[in-house]
Amino acid sequence: MLEFDIIETPENVEFQQRLAGIGSRFMAGLIDNLILLAVYAILAAVLMLFLGVGPFSYGKLIREAHWWVLALSICVFFFVYWGYFVFFELVMNGQSPGKRSMKLRVVKEGGAAIQFVDIAIRNLMRAVDGIGGYGVAGLSMFISRKVQRLGDLAAGTVVVSEETRDYTAHSDRRKKVQWEQEISPAVLTATGLKPEEYRTLYNYWARRGELTLEARGRLLPKLLTPILQRMGQTVPATSLVVLENQLDEMLKIAHKAKGNPPPMPPEVRP
Amino acid sequence: MTPAQFLATRQPVWNRLDDLLTRIGKRGTAGLTEAELHELVNLYPSVAVDVGRARMYKLDDATQQRINKLAIAAHGYIYRRPAHRPLPAIWRFFRLEYPRLFRRMGGYVLLSTVLFMVFASGAYISTRLRPSTAYVFVPGPIDLPDGQPGLSAEDMSERFREIPNPPLAAGVMANNISVAFKAFAFGITAGVGTCYVLLMNGMILGGFIGHFANHNLQYALWSFIAPHGVLEIFAILVSGAAGFRLGFSLALPGKVTRKASLRAGARDAVLLVLGTIPMFLVAGFIEGFITPSYVEGWLKITLGLLVWALAMAWLLLVGRGAPALARS
Repeated sequence: MLEFDIIETPENVEFQQRLAGIGSRFMAGLIDNLILLAVYAILAAVLMLFLGVGPFSYGKLIREAHWWVLALSICVFFFVYWGYFVFFELVMNGQSPGKRSMKLRVVKEGGAAIQFVDIAIRNLMRAVDGIGGYGVAGLSMFISRKVQRLGDLAAGTVVVSEETRDYTAHSDRRKKVQWEQEISPAVLTATGLKPEEYRTLYNYWARRGELTLEARGRLLPKLLTPILQRMGQTVPATSLVVLENQLDEMLKIAHKAKGNPPPMPPEVRP
Repeated sequence: MTPAQFLATRQPVWNRLDDLLTRIGKRGTAGLTEAELHELVNLYPSVAVDVGRARMYKLDDATQQRINKLAIAAHGYIYRRPAHRPLPAIWRFFRLEYPRLFRRMGGYVLLSTVLFMVFASGAYISTRLRPSTAYVFVPGPIDLPDGQPGLSAEDMSERFREIPNPPLAAGVMANNISVAFKAFAFGITAGVGTCYVLLMNGMILGGFIGHFANHNLQYALWSFIAPHGVLEIFAILVSGAAGFRLGFSLALPGKVTRKASLRAGARDAVLLVLGTIPMFLVAGFIEGFITPSYVEGWLKITLGLLVWALAMAWLLLVGRGAPALARS
């Protein structure tokens, strides 16, 4: 199963869109179906009110017109049943309320915005996909390479996730570092750092790839400025580029001091 | 250029693009001035290249994702097809595209017609041979006053008069259009599901006709199924054709890939089935308001045939010889 859909552009650059998984799509579908259920319930209540049956039987509001009300509610039910997804995907450019809440969007394979015909195909196909509580859809999504249900396969659409992962929060990708070997006296004399300072800076350098630029811009001055001040160096302008270059120099010195050059601080995976 | 320098020089550009895209997201491209639109078009290619350069410099995930997202969003706005205004598009569809599509799909319509005829005739013949089989083919109460030749069309329509007109019309429309949609969708089973829909409907009709013929009530029957039924059954056959178009495109892709074949087939098929909606609306209106009325039987039958003839004239004659349409 692929994780990305590739968009090839006229500029010969490939973009990647993260495909939505079965889980998030199921959740989006659940939300949409709960909304549908609520609409049906309201419709039924209104109908009972007008027809004077059920718990609202005190109503009997418009005796003359009540058959037209029944006809109208049949029409409304029909439009909601077949049209809910068509309407929202058309108006909200490939999203339904459930999809929006899960940050999903339907797009053409290759990234283009979906058109009415695509929307009609993928949503009329729910008649088949919906069999067995969307069991057919689930099976199809499981088998197909791009997590597509039958409607997606026929329409040539994929559902992509627009969620950007928040790397400023906790990360559990911390690498195991042998600090006893890493912080040797030679390193400390060469750089003039205290062990915990070295450890902090090294940690920052190793994990910077997991942080957003904004977070790095906020964090590094806080870490580096006190150390530079303690060592009596002038603090450069708090530009991230300058600070990271300075940190890079420091760590290079540290590695030279360690003798046989160990691998650079682990390069963050591309 | 080091990664850090790359970041420093390009970040203002990304921020600017982000700003423009956010504003488009809020108010559409109309929210930008002409100069800003030009700016967007000029910024996009360089940011698209940045996607590759960020990969080369092995920038962090978050930044790569951000550039990727910006480029995709800009790409989406720049390479978007012009939006059609819905009403003219619908008018053009029924005025030109649908009759042409119908004629192109003639073979599938023929196939579903033949299959339906076979199923209906089978049910008819077996009902004629063994009258009790009618109860197998036709759901619901169909008991007739046995051997009562005097039963008129009036009496037949009486059943329909029990249900008030507006909900009857609405219910019939909703039900028939749902059946049509299903006939289309179940085409994905290589046409097997569509066959099933035709089989069920064919059996009901054949069994019905056979049952009434057993009781010598043909006129009564036809005066209550023909007014709406001719167009209605025809529209079901067209939906069946849509299902077959889809099914065949999947099962027999020919010289293109199965994927591409399915795409093209689904496109034709969905348009073919969507175009049946007006036919079902007309048929449903007749079934709800005219079939149960006290109009003479022969008049109702004539109306049914006339309406169908009009539909056929539209499908077979309209849009011939008009200039070629650009595929939209």
